[in-house]
Amino acid sequence: MAPRSSASTTKEKLIGGEDEVLQAIILADSFNKRFKPLTTRKPRCLLPICNAPLLEWTFESLALAGVKEIFVVCRSHSGQVKAAIAESKWSKPGSGIKITTILTAKETYSPGDAMRDVYTRGLVTSDFVLVAGDLVSNVRIDEVVRVHKERRKTNKDAIMTMVVKESGVNHRTRSKGDSAVFVLDAETSECLHYEPVDGHPKKSTVQIPREILAEHPELEIRNDLIDCCIDVCSAEVPSLFQDNFDYLDLRRDFVHGVLTSDLLMKNIHCYVLKEGYAARVKDTKSYDAISKDILSRWTFPLVPDDNHPSGHVYEHLRGNKYIAKGDTVTLSRTCKIGNNTLIGSSTQVYDNAIITGSVIGRHCVIGNGTVIRGSYVFDGTVIGPNCVIEQSIIGAGVSIKEKSTVMKGCLLGDGVMVGPGAKIEAFERLSVKPGMEVQMDVEEDSEDEDEDKGDDDSEEEVEEDGLTEDDTELDSDIEEVEKIQDTLKAKLVLGRDSNALVWPRGPILDDDEEDAEGPDNFTNQRLVRLADNCSDLADSDSDNDSDASTDSNSDSDEIPIEAGGASLLLSQPQTEFKREVKLSLDRAFEEGHSVDNAAVELKTLRMASNVPLVHVRTGVVAAIVDRIPIVEGNPGEQRQAIGKMIGRWGELINRIGGIDGVETVTVLQAQCASSKRVALFGPILVALYQQDIVDEDDIRGWHELPVSQGVGALLSEAEELKRCWTVGSRMIEQFDEQESSEEDDDEDSE
Amino acid sequence: MDLTTSTDSSVPREFIAVILAGYGSGLHPLTSDLGDSACPKALLSIANKPMIDYTLDWIEQGGVQDVLIICPSTHRAAISHYIDSEISSSSSLRINIQTHDEDEETGVGTCAPFRAHAHRITEDFIVLPCDFVPPPSLPLSKLLNKFRTDTVTDGAIATSCWFECKSSEKGSYPEEWDTPSSPVPIVWHKPSQSLLHVDSSDEINRNSDELELRMSLLNSYPSSKLSSKNQDSGVYVCKRNVLDFLKQKSEFESFRDEMIPWLCKMQYQRGKRAKYSKALENATSSTQYEALRHSTRHNQAGIIIQSQLESESQANGWPGSPTPDDDSNSFPSTFGVGLVLHELADGPAIRVNTLAAFAEINRFFLSQIPLQANKEKPPTSEQRIQVSTDSIIGDSTTLDERTTIKKTVIGKHCKIGKMVKLTGCVILDHCVIEDGCKLDNCLLGQSTKVGAKTELSKCVSQPGYEVAAGESIKGEKLQSSDWTAAPGSSDEDEDDDDEDGSEEDADNDDDEGSSADSEAGTAKTGATAAPNKSE
Repeated sequence: MAPRSSASTTKEKLIGGEDEVLQAIILADSFNKRFKPLTTRKPRCLLPICNAPLLEWTFESLALAGVKEIFVVCRSHSGQVKAAIAESKWSKPGSGIKITTILTAKETYSPGDAMRDVYTRGLVTSDFVLVAGDLVSNVRIDEVVRVHKERRKTNKDAIMTMVVKESGVNHRTRSKGDSAVFVLDAETSECLHYEPVDGHPKKSTVQIPREILAEHPELEIRNDLIDCCIDVCSAEVPSLFQDNFDYLDLRRDFVHGVLTSDLLMKNIHCYVLKEGYAARVKDTKSYDAISKDILSRWTFPLVPDDNHPSGHVYEHLRGNKYIAKGDTVTLSRTCKIGNNTLIGSSTQVYDNAIITGSVIGRHCVIGNGTVIRGSYVFDGTVIGPNCVIEQSIIGAGVSIKEKSTVMKGCLLGDGVMVGPGAKIEAFERLSVKPGMEVQMDVEEDSEDEDEDKGDDDSEEEVEEDGLTEDDTELDSDIEEVEKIQDTLKAKLVLGRDSNALVWPRGPILDDDEEDAEGPDNFTNQRLVRLADNCSDLADSDSDNDSDASTDSNSDSDEIPIEAGGASLLLSQPQTEFKREVKLSLDRAFEEGHSVDNAAVELKTLRMASNVPLVHVRTGVVAAIVDRIPIVEGNPGEQRQAIGKMIGRWGELINRIGGIDGVETVTVLQAQCASSKRVALFGPILVALYQQDIVDEDDIRGWHELPVSQGVGALLSEAEELKRCWTVGSRMIEQFDEQESSEEDDDEDSE
Repeated sequence: MDLTTSTDSSVPREFIAVILAGYGSGLHPLTSDLGDSACPKALLSIANKPMIDYTLDWIEQGGVQDVLIICPSTHRAAISHYIDSEISSSSSLRINIQTHDEDEETGVGTCAPFRAHAHRITEDFIVLPCDFVPPPSLPLSKLLNKFRTDTVTDGAIATSCWFECKSSEKGSYPEEWDTPSSPVPIVWHKPSQSLLHVDSSDEINRNSDELELRMSLLNSYPSSKLSSKNQDSGVYVCKRNVLDFLKQKSEFESFRDEMIPWLCKMQYQRGKRAKYSKALENATSSTQYEALRHSTRHNQAGIIIQSQLESESQANGWPGSPTPDDDSNSFPSTFGVGLVLHELADGPAIRVNTLAAFAEINRFFLSQIPLQANKEKPPTSEQRIQVSTDSIIGDSTTLDERTTIKKTVIGKHCKIGKMVKLTGCVILDHCVIEDGCKLDNCLLGQSTKVGAKTELSKCVSQPGYEVAAGESIKGEKLQSSDWTAAPGSSDEDEDDDDEDGSEEDADNDDDEGSSADSEAGTAKTGATAAPNKSE
């Protein structure tokens, strides 16, 4: 089944058919490792949820929305994805949908990279729907597309419509660790501000830029929206990714970037769903939530007993129990099947077993007296007698021997064998040891063949492909894990002849995991982990909350933190940018460029590195201050030197793309305080004032900032800052004297 | 629920209205002192009716009878005289005038008067500025009812009122008139109509680029609105206990900028709530509240939601197990600040605290009476006086021949000479405008004299100011200090205005007859002077 992925043919076809065909792009790779080790041998989009691969649910959702052409962009395990697509009912002639698999380069590490790839291949020519490969939805996307197109007719800059679903703050499908606050225009539902909210470090405030208030008097601040990650994009979206190489994430980088950019002038809208269901399986916690949603029929008409994406047939019994039809399931007379449970075909459940709130795959065996609660067991797994399994995900072909206990939150990779008598602590992650995996592969394959129809030859080949491709990446992971096996294993009872490899529980040791920042830090991951209620985190959080809010003065308490944070932020890319600015200014000073030229150069630099204006300002001020010669013991001459410098270059400070006197003074203060030129602060400020680069209000404004007094600064610098501040105070006193007569308090005396 | 004004006095009073009548620094020079006597902002006429009348009417219609007016001591005489002579005879209000002097230099501090007079306020109270002119579609009872509902069902402790500002076209007023104060962004919750966050000037100073909202707010009120086209009416209905807070938070100066934002935070900051719960408990222990506490329905509404929120946040989405949660039991209510939002479409409301607003409100009243025939034509001795229907002319005002008046309010006891053209002006009481003047969009303070053949455009005059004959002035504030004191000195300093004070009427309201006489005298001299000049 050679996919016609050649870009040119697709393109021609599209131009012929005009925009009648609704296209969709599925990003089938998740670009993160939240499901490891379940995803070591299998891409996430092929993990089953309610016994059908996620990708199938996504196809089903898109088909429901009237999508006619789908591009699946995949990276890891692409062979398996291809094979699965080939198997899908949607690839069959007559399904009305054309599915094309796009294999992106291995160097694609983020959705942004994938979008750039989409651009270079020229896949899309008109508005398209962008979804992730793990979407479950029953939303009429075609309606969203219609609204989007309607809007595009009047506003060419409306490049994207995000579909968001109204829910509640604490909705189970709304991920705690990875949600967002949307600020929308009340009338047009244009998204004006997007603020990602991580569970950890806990966000205490949301900052809404004031400039949007001026143009949009009525805003809605929504903290109750589930981001469905269904985006209706216009064709220029991929090109924007191409232009901005630093866009990685669709939301945090792209949406945020577009909304905050003062250069792009593009609009992004939201479509707030009042009803319908749409959610992404982003992590194990949402896996759990969505499974529950499907079982409790929130996704209707996509439910196990109707429209099951893999075409299985289930009988829906009272209490949302689903048992595969066709008498293949063997249920013992004494076993208990609780509510919200799904049991796949050919599964055998023996005496006195209790299964509640769980999904059991096909060809599974549940032994005597075993208790399974809130767990997800994939196909072909054998669980021996008298086991207890709580809130865990058990991969395919796993074998859990008798009297084993799996505590909540565990992930057992495909083919793992544990027991008998194993005790697996909460949140443990196990996979197959590398040495044992050959044998397991065979097992797994045979499993696949069993259920997944014939067609062996081609599939086998492809699968082989997929595996080798990912071997390198996988190996490095597993090696890492293997090194520390002994310490990890010491704590666990895995049972004899277990082939399991224990994954570390704590923060991931890999240094390239960048776990320190961003949403993927360890604590944040805990919030998206299955069955982890994070009670310890919640406690500390609420403490924070009350601490911060005990007093109205707490408002000022926050500032030191912010200031500290800001200085920390000046890390990697900023230092580089700083260097560039310095070089550029060095040239300008030496070669005597005009202020205009220097300003243009700085603007270009800023655009290229996409840094906030304050960094440019810092750079410029630093360069100017550093260039002022220190004249010892001659204040007059010193003043002259300063005057000359500021006279020549001072204007540049206000020519870099925005005027903000308060910031200028703040930056100047920081610069002076951290160098030997503390004494120059006063004269420089005076010179700036005389040149009209800062005005009186700016100095007053700066003077009132707590940061200016050295609040929150390092001890060593605080003193110098304070010194500068005192200089400023004197200056303000002078202003006051000059204009004391004019003081005119306009405040109303109500 | 509207109480009629004829309520039996045996019914314990529910509210006391507290009117803060300040100096009106935003309105000067109209509010500058006229000689020894003050021209209080509260008595400034809007469409020939003192500002405070509008407020008192509003209060009376709202069914509130007790009024406490707090004004600077220099204003007391004038205000109490006015109240005694004009109001008390015709209304059922019981008005108590108290004074509070704040340091004029250091600023306003609307909280201070409350601290000083807290002992006079024994029940829930309504804070009113004297300069809020509400439209008929916004009765005080609407606020009171909202307060009554919220305090009982929701445990709110205050109700505020905001209104949508009219977006004034740029350039309609001179810049130095201060365009009506700009709207303040607020965050509010639509379903419960409560105010969550006020973007006070402190916050703007702290972070001028971004509006900071606490996550705890967004978690408690996940879907809230941020409106930035509304203005604070300055009217708050508060529980008595708010005064206790005021005492505790002695650093608060401004009711609007500090007290109300602080109260708003109570709704979503648990720590703060815990700290002040003692005082709050008293706040909510009315009998009605007690009764409701025993009702199962109320308990469910109040407590279950709370505990669900909290237990869910702990159990992460698992249907909340009713964990014993002491917190939620001790805070069954929101302690919120209710919000009444008045839309522009229902009629404009305005705070008359700038010159531009003053001109605007006068213009508005003029536009409201076009078809209502002018009851009493001014005593016109001559023909050919043109008074457009959208003008108001006060009692005992005389117009001379061939005078044209358009869109203008003229106060009482004014004397308008011949061939005068007035367009879009507000002329307060006792003004004298001599022959041949042309005034365009001017605001003349009390007893202003305009010499003959003067052309004024977009000017404001201080009470008692005399414009020399034949001048042509555009867009200036005419203040006596302009030519005596150093430029820019504050006009509120009483001593500045001494020079022209003593000779003129000692008390503007007290001896109207004599002042009218004296003015008539000066007018005569002016009138005689004018022909001389023209001929």
